[in-house]
Amino acid sequence: MKETVQYKIFKVINVLILLLVIYVTLFPFLNVVAQSFSGQAEINAGKVNLIPKGFNLTTYQTILHDKTFWTSYRNTIVYTVLGTVIAMVMTTTFAYVLSKKRLMGRKFFTSMAIFTMFFNGGLIPNYILIKNLGWTNTIWAIVIPGAISIFNMLIMKSFFEAMPEELEEAASIDGSSTYGTFLKIILPLSKPILATMVLFYAVGNWNSWFGAFLYLDQSDKFPVTLYLRNLLAGATSGQSAGATSADDLQQIGANIKAVTMVLTVLPILMVYPFVQKYFVSGIMLGSVKQ
Amino acid sequence: MAKILKKLAFLVAIVTALSSLLAGCSSDKSSSTTASAPKDKGVAMADYGVGKTFKATKPISFTTMYNDAAWYAFKKDWLLWSEITKRTNVTLKPTVVPMSDYAQKRSLLISSGDAPLIIPKTYPGQETPFVSSGAILPISDYVKYMPNFMDKVKKWNLQPEIDNLRQADGKYYVLPGLHEEVWPDYTLAVRTDIFEKNNIAIPKTWDEFEAALKKLKEIYPDVTPFSDRWSTSGSVSPLGALLQYAAPTFGTVGGWGTSNYVTFDQDKNKFVFAGASKEYKEMLTYFNGLIKEGLLDKESLSQSDDQAVQKFVNGKSFVISSNSQEIVTMRTSMDKTLGAGKYSIAKIDVPGGPKGNVIAGSRLENGIMISAKAKDDPNFKALLQFIDWFWYSDEGEELAKWGVEGTTYKKENGKRVLMPDINFLGLNPSGTKDLRVDYGFGTGSFAYGGTTDLLQSTMSEEEVKFQDSMHQNKKVLPVNPPYPMSATDQEQATLISTPLTDTVKQNTAKFILGTRPLSEWNAYVSELKAKGMDKYLDMVNKAYQDYQKKSK
Repeated sequence: MKETVQYKIFKVINVLILLLVIYVTLFPFLNVVAQSFSGQAEINAGKVNLIPKGFNLTTYQTILHDKTFWTSYRNTIVYTVLGTVIAMVMTTTFAYVLSKKRLMGRKFFTSMAIFTMFFNGGLIPNYILIKNLGWTNTIWAIVIPGAISIFNMLIMKSFFEAMPEELEEAASIDGSSTYGTFLKIILPLSKPILATMVLFYAVGNWNSWFGAFLYLDQSDKFPVTLYLRNLLAGATSGQSAGATSADDLQQIGANIKAVTMVLTVLPILMVYPFVQKYFVSGIMLGSVKQ
Repeated sequence: MAKILKKLAFLVAIVTALSSLLAGCSSDKSSSTTASAPKDKGVAMADYGVGKTFKATKPISFTTMYNDAAWYAFKKDWLLWSEITKRTNVTLKPTVVPMSDYAQKRSLLISSGDAPLIIPKTYPGQETPFVSSGAILPISDYVKYMPNFMDKVKKWNLQPEIDNLRQADGKYYVLPGLHEEVWPDYTLAVRTDIFEKNNIAIPKTWDEFEAALKKLKEIYPDVTPFSDRWSTSGSVSPLGALLQYAAPTFGTVGGWGTSNYVTFDQDKNKFVFAGASKEYKEMLTYFNGLIKEGLLDKESLSQSDDQAVQKFVNGKSFVISSNSQEIVTMRTSMDKTLGAGKYSIAKIDVPGGPKGNVIAGSRLENGIMISAKAKDDPNFKALLQFIDWFWYSDEGEELAKWGVEGTTYKKENGKRVLMPDINFLGLNPSGTKDLRVDYGFGTGSFAYGGTTDLLQSTMSEEEVKFQDSMHQNKKVLPVNPPYPMSATDQEQATLISTPLTDTVKQNTAKFILGTRPLSEWNAYVSELKAKGMDKYLDMVNKAYQDYQKKSK
C-alpha cells in the first residue's frame, strides 16, 4: 500500500505531538531525579533542569542510613504483599461466585456491592468501626478495609462471565469439584486478569497513606508513603497554619525531598514494565460485552 | 438495571430520612454546669506553686498527641521522655501524628471521642470548631489551678490578649503559648553590599525606601530592585508577608496579618472594615507607585517563592521579604551563586510609615487543648499541675527547649551553651549530635513561648541584634478587643466574610498591579457594600458590645 501525502503529514505531526506529550510527562520526573543527584545550593539557585549540577551522593548515603526510612520501607513492603494477597483472594472468589448465573440472590449481592461504590459511612464512622474492632495500630487496619475494590471485582466478574460454560460442564463431568474447577481450570486461564489485578492492588497499596495516617499512632508502623508525605507537605502545612515558631518552618532541602521521592517510587517503577502487557489487555477486558 | 436503581434510590431516601430524624433527636450537650473542683486521688501536689517542680506523688501516665516532623522523627528512647518521667513521675503516652496532616487527625480523634487528654500544637482559633460539641475542656474554668500560667499572664499583662480567645459563652478553650514580648520575624532583607557601594543609607521609612529603590534603579537600569515573595504560598494572600508588616505603619491591617480585614478604631470605639478604609487605600497607592516606577517587580504578585528567591540570590533583585530562617538559606545559596564574601545581606528594621514606627502582633502562640473527658480522670488535678509546670514554668520551658543541664547544655556566665558534641539550629556546627533529632528537645510540639531571654537564647547574634533594635525603636500597637459570637452567628458571619475577604484580596492585587486604576476606589467600596460589608460590621460590633456588657 502506498502512503498518501496526507498520511505522511499526519504521521509527522502525530510523532511531534506525541514527543511533546512524552516531554511533558517525563520532564518533571527526570527533573526530580536530576535534583536528587544535585547540590542543594544549585537547586535553590535554579540551575538544575535535566542534568545534575554540583553532583553529590551524600544525600543518598544519609537517607540510606536513616533508620526511620528503612523501618517505613519495610512496613510498606509488608503491607503491600499481605494486602495484595488478601485482596486477590477476596476479590477473585467474590467475583467468581457473582459470575455464576445460578447463584441464588445474585442480583441482591451484586447491588449490595455496587451500593458501596456510591455510598459509604464516612470518615468518622469508619474510624470508630476500626477502633471498636480493636484494629487501630495493627496491620489489619491497613490491609483489610481496602481488600475488595468493587471496580476491580466487576472487571473480574465480566471476565469470568465471558468464559464458556461448557468448560466447567466438561470439568464436572470428569469429576472435578467446584473448588477444583475454580483452582485448576478457571484460575490458570485467567492469568492476564490476575496479573492486572495484582498490579492494581500492589500499586494501590504501595501508594496509599491515608489509611495508615488514620489508624496508626506509632511512627514505627508508618509506611514509607506517610514518611514521604510528612517530608514533602510538613513544612508547607506548618506555614499555612500560621506557624510563628521558626523551628517549625525549617525548610527541607529540595535535594532530600527528591532523593526520598526517587527511592520511594523505584520498586513499583521497576515492576511496571514486566506486567505492562497484561495491564493493557486486562484493562480492555469487559469493555465489550458479547 | 433500571429496576435496581429505582430500588436503590428508594432505599437511600428512607435511610436519609431516618438518619435526619435521629440527628434531630440527639441531645444538645450544654456546658452551662459550673466547674467543680478538679478530681484528685491524692496524686496531685498539695503545695504546688510558682517556683516549685511538679512531682506526682505516685507514678501516673497521661496520653498526648505528638506532632511528628520529618526532619526530627519521633523516637521512643529520647532523653526528653525519660527526663519528664524522672522529674515529674508522669509518663507521657504519645499518639504520633505526621505534621503534614496534624489538623485533620486532631479533628478526627476529637470527633470520634478518641482524643488523647493533652492536645498540643493548637493555634488560637483552631479550637473554635470543637467548642459546640463539648469535646474540649473550657480551660478558663480551671486556670486557677495553674499558678505559673496565671503568674505569667499577670506579670506580662497578657489578659487583653487572652480575652481574645473567649468564645460566646465567655470561656476559652485553648491554653496558648505565652510570649513576654511581641516577636517580629518577617521584614525586608536587602543587599547591604550594594547599598554601601552606592552610598545609599538603609531606609528608615517607606519614603526613604522608595528613594533608595529609585537610586538603585538609576544605577542599575536593567534590574528591578525589589522582587517580593509570599504571594502564592502559605495562606494565599497577595504580598502576604509584606502587607502584614507594612500595614500597621499605614494604620491598617493587611496580608497575613488579618483573616477578615476588620480592625478596631480606638477613637470611634467600634470595629471598621479596614479593606475599605482610606489608610488601606494609602498603602495600596504606595505599592502601586513602586510598581508604576518599575521599582517593584510586577511578578511579585504571581511568582512562586522559589522564583523570587532565585532572582535575589542571582543578583537580579536587591530586596526581598524574609525571616530569620530564610536569610540563612539564601546565604548558603548565594555562597554558590555570587561567591562567599562577594555579597552581604541583612534583615533591616521594618520601615516606618505615616502612622510612625509601629508594629502589631500577638504575643500568643500555638498552645494546648485538653479533652473534656479529662475532668472525669481521677488525676485531673495532677494533669492541670503537670501542664502548668511543663509548658508555663521557667523550669519546664527550659527543659523543653534546652534539655538537661549538664547533659545537653551548660550555663556559662548565665548564658546557656550547648555541650560541645551537640548541635541545634546551627548554633554549634561542630556538634555531631542534634538536640532535636537525638534528644527530642527544642521541638515544635512542646517548646513554645517563654521569656524573651529564653526565646533569644537560640537565636544567632545577628538576629538578636535585629530583635533588640525592633523592640527599642518600635511601638507595639494594642490588640483588638474580643468579639466572640455564638456558633450560629459565627456561621452566618463566615458566610458573609468569605466572599468579602476574597474581594478585598483580588482587588488588592489589582490595585497594586494597576490593572484596576485607583480612581475606581469608590466603585470598589460599593462592591464591598453590595457583598454585605455593613451587615458584617454590624454583627461584629454587636458581638463586641454584647461582650463589653457581659464582662462588666
